[in-house]
Amino acid sequence: MNGQIGVYVCECGPNIKDRIDIDKVLEDISSLENVKVAKRFPLLCSNDGKKFLEEEIVKEELTHLVVAACSPREHEQTFMTVCKQAGLNPYLFQLINIREQCAWMIPDKEQATAKAIQYIRAGIQRVAFHRPLEPKEIDSIPDVCVIGGGISGLETSLSLAGKDRRVYLVEKTDSLGGMAGKLSKLLPYQGSELSSVEAKIKQAQDNANIEIFTSSEVSDVRGFLGNFDITISSHGESSEARKIQAGAVVVATGFGLYDPGNDSQYGLGQIDNVITALEFEEMLGKDKLLLKSGKPPKSVALIHCIGRKELGYCSKVCCLYSIKFAHRLKDMSSDMDVTELYMDLCLPHKSDQAYFDEAKEKGIRFIRSGEDVFVKNKGTQIEVEYDRDGQKDSITVDMVVLAPAMVPSEGTTSLAEMLNIPLDKTGFFKEIHEILDPISTPIEGVYIAGCAVGPRNIPESIVQSQAASGKILSSLIPGKKIKPEVKVSEIREDFCTGCQTCLSICFYGAISYDPIKDVSVVNEVICRGCGSCVGSCPSGAIRSKHFTYPQLYREVLEALR
Amino acid sequence: MNSTHKDDKSEGMAGKILPAEDGITSAIITFLKKSLEEKQLEAVMIPSKIPDTEAWTWLLLQDESLLASCNPLPPVMTVQGGKALSNVTKHGDLHEKVAAVMRPCEVQAAVELLKLKQIDLDNIYLISVDCPGAMPLQDYMADPEKTAKAFEEAFSTWGENESVRPICQICHQFSLPLPQQSAPSDNSPPKNEAKFPAADLHIGLIGGDGTNVFLIPATAKGQDLLDKLDLSAEDSMVNWESKVEEIRERKFNKRKAADAEWKAKTEGVDNLAAVFDDCINCHNCKSACPVCYCQQCYFDSQLLQFSPESYLGRAEKRGSLRFPLDTLLFHVGRMSHMALSCVSCGACEDACPMSIPVGQVFTMMGNKTQDYFAYTPGLDRNEPLPLQIFKEDEFGEVETPREGAEAPAEETEKNV
Repeated sequence: MNGQIGVYVCECGPNIKDRIDIDKVLEDISSLENVKVAKRFPLLCSNDGKKFLEEEIVKEELTHLVVAACSPREHEQTFMTVCKQAGLNPYLFQLINIREQCAWMIPDKEQATAKAIQYIRAGIQRVAFHRPLEPKEIDSIPDVCVIGGGISGLETSLSLAGKDRRVYLVEKTDSLGGMAGKLSKLLPYQGSELSSVEAKIKQAQDNANIEIFTSSEVSDVRGFLGNFDITISSHGESSEARKIQAGAVVVATGFGLYDPGNDSQYGLGQIDNVITALEFEEMLGKDKLLLKSGKPPKSVALIHCIGRKELGYCSKVCCLYSIKFAHRLKDMSSDMDVTELYMDLCLPHKSDQAYFDEAKEKGIRFIRSGEDVFVKNKGTQIEVEYDRDGQKDSITVDMVVLAPAMVPSEGTTSLAEMLNIPLDKTGFFKEIHEILDPISTPIEGVYIAGCAVGPRNIPESIVQSQAASGKILSSLIPGKKIKPEVKVSEIREDFCTGCQTCLSICFYGAISYDPIKDVSVVNEVICRGCGSCVGSCPSGAIRSKHFTYPQLYREVLEALR
Repeated sequence: MNSTHKDDKSEGMAGKILPAEDGITSAIITFLKKSLEEKQLEAVMIPSKIPDTEAWTWLLLQDESLLASCNPLPPVMTVQGGKALSNVTKHGDLHEKVAAVMRPCEVQAAVELLKLKQIDLDNIYLISVDCPGAMPLQDYMADPEKTAKAFEEAFSTWGENESVRPICQICHQFSLPLPQQSAPSDNSPPKNEAKFPAADLHIGLIGGDGTNVFLIPATAKGQDLLDKLDLSAEDSMVNWESKVEEIRERKFNKRKAADAEWKAKTEGVDNLAAVFDDCINCHNCKSACPVCYCQQCYFDSQLLQFSPESYLGRAEKRGSLRFPLDTLLFHVGRMSHMALSCVSCGACEDACPMSIPVGQVFTMMGNKTQDYFAYTPGLDRNEPLPLQIFKEDEFGEVETPREGAEAPAEETEKNV
């Protein structure tokens, strides 16, 4: 190689200057083969430093650049941009981290200097084998696939759909609305009328830019922000799977309900007139709140926190809807005897306290029970035993309504696997950061909203849906190009035996098999350059474009010399 | 030992009896003929002697009259059966029912090739035969008649015969992998059991009284083939089983002793180099190997050709440079590729014009590597290649330092 490598050591203020003998470094490396120039500079990432580097590349007619400074996470992009501006391909550059890995690590200046020299020498060996790589640009797709047609999915779809953005709304069941659609009445501050959910369904159905798939599921997803290939399968036998392209995916798959089981202490399924909150909602919706005997109940017990102990989290909405139930029972008949049995009350919103106080004023009884609540048959009535300040007590009622906890909806695990996004220990989707980034996932372009992330009430779900929409609207601008990873894998067809080991290894689904040529093929748009396939290939037919065998071999050889 | 076998015998172990008054070969050929005539099979792949010569080759035949010159157990293994079958089905399956009659190591090679998608077994009925070993190719070339005669004797001694190839003398996979019945124990040889056995049907020669052979189905496919033929049933394979286990245990111990011997002989670069000293770099071992899977061998590629200056530089540095270059690297490279899939068939050794014990060295190295992953190549079609899957608890020996601060001397020496 007849390269002209320039090596520049950054002093990084006192960070490197005080702990590494830079002059000694320069003396050692300036005589190395192919090194044309080796210099030091106070702060290369400053405007002066960048200008200096740019001028040096041009003046010294450098073919390759090595910068010994900080972590690539901090300034690799900075110096790659400098290369570009100086007309040098940015992949003919190598950043050596002598700050975090040498200066900050080793107190002894001599040792730190020796290690820095070793690293820089390895980098010089490596960079000589770098090849120029050219970035590609592809069109990004502004369309969005929303999974789940509940209140979150509807809100997301309505916020996003527009003249130049199509939304594919995929719902597993045969109708839109989800759990919110099953409620007879919302809480007072949620608009109180069910019509607000129905209105959203109607708006979505009427929107020409929203394509709705009911009784359907997403069965395959590959790609990344701006470029997802998605397969939607319908539950119907005859219909074929539909392949769509979208730039982003919003997971709004909602929640399921905790099943305390038939044998549990709550008598669900065993004792007449013990029902779940959802069944109670249904009765209210039909205006037929009746006991098995056909008579209306005179006394009702509402038991909160079913499953909280087993699952280890509070479902946040049960207290309020149980209070809502109590209000409605009292409104139906002021003689109704209503008891709420709770462990802790969760009343976090500004209107909640007043709503609770009103309930108490109406004569609704609130009992703070322990965890051990037992529901038992007592003739035509039901006895509820509980613990009150260590004392056993009980009440006898006509009807018991259980408030079961929210659990991840069915299929959450398989969807997480398909999308390569993690779940947290509760089994709900895991946000990047619960507080600071609550709707993003580790996969760029995949967002989570509503109860798919954990228990939420309706306004919170709506806020999350709007937030996800905002993220998408600001990142997926119609007409804007996206730049896929440049340092991807490539398969040398002459060497590939078609054993397809790489297909099972690839985390991103970027490799497919060409049966005509009998070789594996990398989709460079989907490939993220992780290199797993390179390691897995039994014939060494795959290489990573910026981590080639000679590059790594020379680097390691020199580093270990 | 083997009590679990006997207990579960009713589970798929019942085979059928094939009368063999006119000898084993004739009995097996008659069985194949019958299957072809009754259209249970459309074709058969089997070794055949080329008329008027002493040469053996593989035939894919539909005309049952051609079976006359065939023999499921020829005295030599010229082309490895797994490789021959891969030639036929590399680009898809045959669409017709074809039986391939092979030695167990050939079946194992076929299964390894299946895992590497270099073969298609969809319509193939793999039939394995108890194998007494094969004669060294060079002996056969020198004196076919005498060697063939010596091979006949091997059928009576089963494992104690010293005229079969050395690798066959230490082979404990001479019989069929059976459906899985028990977990392997540490002290006895691993039982030949599989969730999805390699062969569909096995022909048992061992333990019979000379007038019959056992047909033992190992898969549903094999059972199906057998059920359609009018043969007398035999529900007791006790003789065959106990005799096979007895020989297997004996040969397993021989193999362990041989492994120790070869380990001592090849320890360290100098000793290893000495074993391959005679190598003329013809790469016949690579061409004969059924599993060696690369499309383009690195050692045949341009990548290994450097500039004259570079050679001179290396010669200067080391004092001298031996040509052809990197013959030892070739063997070590091939070893690293074959370590997990080597079925110890010995094709490489037979193919070596310089009589280098390639197969025995590879077998020793293969055994050790396969042990690390608790993997037996070619035994179970459903068992994935170890490098295609990740198990968190696997291979801990090399990841965590052993107790005591320093690496044991044995390990250090190996890192020369």
